[in-house]
Amino acid sequence: MDDSAKRLLQRLMRRIPTPTLRSALEKWGRLTTEQQKSMDFTQSKWALTERLLGICEENELAVKQLTDLEMIHVIDNPDQGMWYAFQLMDPEDDAKSVDLTQFKEQFKSHLRELVRNVSIKMKKHTDEAVWIRIAWGDTFSRPNHLKPTYIVHYLQTPYVFVTSITSKQKPLLSQALVLSTRYQAIKDANLSGRKLTAIRDLLMKKYQQVFPTKYPIPPPENNQTISNQHIEKEQAELAANRLQMACEAFGGGMLPQLQSAVYKLETKFRDHSNKTMTEREEPFRCVVKFTSTNLLESFRHCASSGIASTPVTPLLSCIPLKGRNYFLITDNGPGPSSQRGQPQV
Amino acid sequence: MERHQNRETRTPRNNVVVHRRRKSKSYRLSYRSGLGAADSRLGWSPALTARRLNTSRKAAGISNIAERVDPGQLALLVKTEWQLSYVTPLHQFRHTQLKSYARQLSAFIAAGKQQGLAVEVEGLQTTFRVSFSLVQGMTQSDEDAESVLVQIHSKRLFARQDEPQKPVWSGWLTCINGNPDYLRALPKDFVCLPLFGCSGADGLSALVKSWFQQSFDCCFGLLEISHTSLQWLMALWTNCHAESGIQHLKMIWTLPATPPLQVTYTVDPEDAWELWSSVRKGKGGGGGGEEEEEEAGENYIDIEEVTSFMQGLKSHFYRHFRLDLSAGSLNQVSTALGSAKYSGRMKVPSTRELCQMLSVFALLIFVNVLFFFFSDLQQPIHDHHPDAADRVRPPQNAHLIERIQTLMPPENTIAAFIWQKLLQLVLVFIRNEAKHYLSLIFNIK
Repeated sequence: MDDSAKRLLQRLMRRIPTPTLRSALEKWGRLTTEQQKSMDFTQSKWALTERLLGICEENELAVKQLTDLEMIHVIDNPDQGMWYAFQLMDPEDDAKSVDLTQFKEQFKSHLRELVRNVSIKMKKHTDEAVWIRIAWGDTFSRPNHLKPTYIVHYLQTPYVFVTSITSKQKPLLSQALVLSTRYQAIKDANLSGRKLTAIRDLLMKKYQQVFPTKYPIPPPENNQTISNQHIEKEQAELAANRLQMACEAFGGGMLPQLQSAVYKLETKFRDHSNKTMTEREEPFRCVVKFTSTNLLESFRHCASSGIASTPVTPLLSCIPLKGRNYFLITDNGPGPSSQRGQPQV
Repeated sequence: MERHQNRETRTPRNNVVVHRRRKSKSYRLSYRSGLGAADSRLGWSPALTARRLNTSRKAAGISNIAERVDPGQLALLVKTEWQLSYVTPLHQFRHTQLKSYARQLSAFIAAGKQQGLAVEVEGLQTTFRVSFSLVQGMTQSDEDAESVLVQIHSKRLFARQDEPQKPVWSGWLTCINGNPDYLRALPKDFVCLPLFGCSGADGLSALVKSWFQQSFDCCFGLLEISHTSLQWLMALWTNCHAESGIQHLKMIWTLPATPPLQVTYTVDPEDAWELWSSVRKGKGGGGGGEEEEEEAGENYIDIEEVTSFMQGLKSHFYRHFRLDLSAGSLNQVSTALGSAKYSGRMKVPSTRELCQMLSVFALLIFVNVLFFFFSDLQQPIHDHHPDAADRVRPPQNAHLIERIQTLMPPENTIAAFIWQKLLQLVLVFIRNEAKHYLSLIFNIK
């Protein structure tokens, strides 16, 4: 095994935690049963790495097979690293009929045309997702397997999710994607997050939506002791309304776990009590970032408990509606009351 | 104790009024709400009438401290995040015996480690070397005691012999701009270094604090920087934008949703400055009023301006998101001039701002400690006016003040004497009952 393969293996062993290592190795299938049995998973990581190095030397495995292992690990644990969502625009007529083989061939050939030394691995996952692993090189150097880019594309949808890509590599990837999927352009969907499953569910609306109904949903049961019957009666209807509006805006049931949303505000400052600032021409620039372990859940709770006034402002309900979490808000339109402008991309 | 009932809460020397607050069930709440108006040290109240309860603060920085202190020592203090605590006055602390204190403390730490107290500093040797150094010049007035810097050095476990020891824990005690009346009223044996900052492993911090408590009979408590103080800091920093750019004004709020929602609200510095200038009451733009007020006005910031500034920012936020930030709590404020967190952590990136920050915090402590004892006095006064329901603004019991005023002679001497006596009493009280009362009010863990 040469140096680069050794380094790749060491890096892999650092990334893969011991509990998931065993299943990953089994799926990989490159170890014989005796070798598999000889791996003692109660040892320290360092010892395991040494053992695995030995096994790989025995089996004469190279970088190519090791990247398989990495891909298996990433596919099973997609919720690491930062994922960015992109959307393909303006499909051509035959965009819908692109099938897997065609996409694979086209993508590989186009990318190879654009980049000299590149290593591409593509794999189809069970849920219609095509996983692509790219190790970038250039005219003078071999592909760098230590910093691969992972891409997930759902065929028949215009959505692409990418992680670990530099700004130099992005245009090359975009070009290859556009050509191989038969669309005309690709744009940033302004959605990013740590959990691929979450941003995928949000963008493709794979969670429970709640539509406006005439009858309010009763508030969920809770085991509080009723302190005052009159207060409860009075507040019940208001609470039910708030809950209904909160669910309409953000969805019912389990929500995709988004971690953050960023709003860049460049609107004018308007406040009756402050004449000087209201007369000012320039916008009041600020950036607001919301973070939480489950952002949509927090927003829904704010709306249903009254911290956020209902009906929920379109700025917040835009997150699940449009499936994005980065917004640039400017004053737009003739009227002074318009605060929500066209988000620029 | 009967005398206390009739005491008015007015210091004769610089006419600071400690405003009365409703004593709510929780001491913590009352402390927090009171702090905003109570820390009006340098401002003056020209007339104790209901309408003009001036709570203001000097805005200009304390510039020449940085020139007086050794730059090497100053460099140790900036760019680190310090956890702040307050300390009650130290009994028989001598600045001349620092070397002996260093020896005692290192022996104490070694003993503590042997006993198995939590000194979980990873990969470090058992030998710690402690150094106490005097930081000369970090004072504002003659009454302030000189600051002391404590450092604990150690080597990594497998370090070579000739590798130097690095400081693994640092702490300092300081007193900048202490209340002169309070300092003069201290009995002879006490040294007042009320602000303690530390950075490093928690186990070591606990050991150092317990050594101080044992040796000097003092008491430590975490200094929570209240919401109002954070607002003051925000305003003070924004006010400095013209001289030294703040680069951004960042606030971090936490809203009580499930799961908790954190909001980071960053404002462009120019826009923050413009908003701040617009809420300043016509200062520099030609305002009416008496001459003395105008002169002092430029250097003084009122609490009302600070709250208007904050209100402007909140309303801009509300206009867009319809989320009321008042439902949550302000946790952190930071600019290029420094950052402060609610939990009592602060960080200053450069020396100029260091002294200003420290004096602000030293002030916080004086008010904290004194406030509690006045809260005992406040209850009977407040009971007289039970309809003063507003907790944010001070109750306007002006005629009550006048009544008390008639009881006290106006000359400074007698009032000053009584004030001193009261402070001495307070001090003794602190020494004896400190732990119990302070834990009540400050919720020491």
